[in-house]
Amino acid sequence: MPLVELIDHRSAPLLLRELFGGDDPGPIVGALAQVPELCLVTLPFVGAALGPSHVPLRWKEIAILRTSALLGCRYCVDAHTVVALDAGLAAEEVATLRCERPDTATFTDPVERALVAWIDEVATGRGPVPDHVGAELRRHLDDHTIVELTVTVGATLLLNRFATALCLPSSPATLQRLAAEGFR
Amino acid sequence: MSVAEAVQAGTLPGRVWFYSNYHCNLACTYCLTESAPSARRRVLAPATIIELAGQARRLGFTDLGITGGEPFLLPSLPELLTELAQVLPTVVLSNGTLFTEARIARLAPLAGLPLAIQISLDAPDPERNDELRGPENFAKVAAAVPQLVRAGIRVRVATTVEPDRLDEADHARLCELHRSWGVPDEDHLVRPVIRRGRADESGMGVVFDHSQIPAELTITADGSFWSPFGPTVRQGRLDTDLLLTRTVDPLSRPAEALLALVGGLPAGADAQIGIR
Repeated sequence: MPLVELIDHRSAPLLLRELFGGDDPGPIVGALAQVPELCLVTLPFVGAALGPSHVPLRWKEIAILRTSALLGCRYCVDAHTVVALDAGLAAEEVATLRCERPDTATFTDPVERALVAWIDEVATGRGPVPDHVGAELRRHLDDHTIVELTVTVGATLLLNRFATALCLPSSPATLQRLAAEGFR
Repeated sequence: MSVAEAVQAGTLPGRVWFYSNYHCNLACTYCLTESAPSARRRVLAPATIIELAGQARRLGFTDLGITGGEPFLLPSLPELLTELAQVLPTVVLSNGTLFTEARIARLAPLAGLPLAIQISLDAPDPERNDELRGPENFAKVAAAVPQLVRAGIRVRVATTVEPDRLDEADHARLCELHRSWGVPDEDHLVRPVIRRGRADESGMGVVFDHSQIPAELTITADGSFWSPFGPTVRQGRLDTDLLLTRTVDPLSRPAEALLALVGGLPAGADAQIGIR
């Protein structure tokens, strides 16, 4: 059970009616809709940080799923396991990002290995990220891509704690898909 | 367009409403907010109301309204009203049952100020009125209104009825009553029950879309709403469909949100069901 009431399309506040569009847009929006003025600015930010951009979607999903698994966010891991599979990640890669494998050897591309190492330090570390982790990422990626992927990790951290603290439920469709893919 | 320009142009209604509290000594059958003695109070602090009233004037609003619940359950209400009426013309809604001699004496500073007390009376006889509003309601209102008028306070009488249920004879008897109490015809309002809150539970009242009622900015302890018909309660749960913002201070935040929404409506779209 969610900790707070999730607002559905019938109760959608006036400023958000267009956003709801007659449907229920999921528990994150349903919870955020409790504070319409906050919802209005949060969703565009989250959309820009996590959604399609000049950074390959595959890299973004690596960042989102890995961060969510490290933070133990069941809701985000469920949702982004599905998104990652749809983005073309292999089941073994998804299992690795979900921390279900002992190491990250599944990823052989040096760019992605550097990215996963960066995500692990940004998401769970305290204090500065070790110099060699940053230096390795800069060998492969330009500054603006690093900035965007770091924002992706940060926005995911926000959503991880939000969804976990408020006990947001995964949708039945997501759970069915996970079962079909062997992730439940 | 600024709030002041919108108010001057008639695009935005000039009144800002405040829900001072949600509890009430009555439990009327059609109450929008399920108010009752045991209702959660959700009091809006008087200091907050005064601060926001000042902001309302600076933004260009022209009038204030206080509603509830029963506002006169708040011990400091007479003093609050005295302050508000010096900020902007104010109307306060009341069930009219709490006007003891002592309370009327405390209202003396209001005489001559731009303030009206709007008291509910739904039928011209005790039986039908009290069936809707509670025992002895009619008698208490009939006693209070003339005393308030004698004290130099403007009183308005509001009759809330099921659509098309007030026949001409009843209307005439109500008018005889309020005239006999010193309340002129222009201060008698007849308005429909709105199907929200307890009225929705009992299948009473008129169903409406927000665009059919005036966009009167309404401030509560739970946030700002499109109209005083917005922050309704059903089965103990606050309705959010007419919620604007949770932030009410600065008042410009909800006022601008309301203005943005009103900008999308055709002129005269409100008032279609006569709720003014």
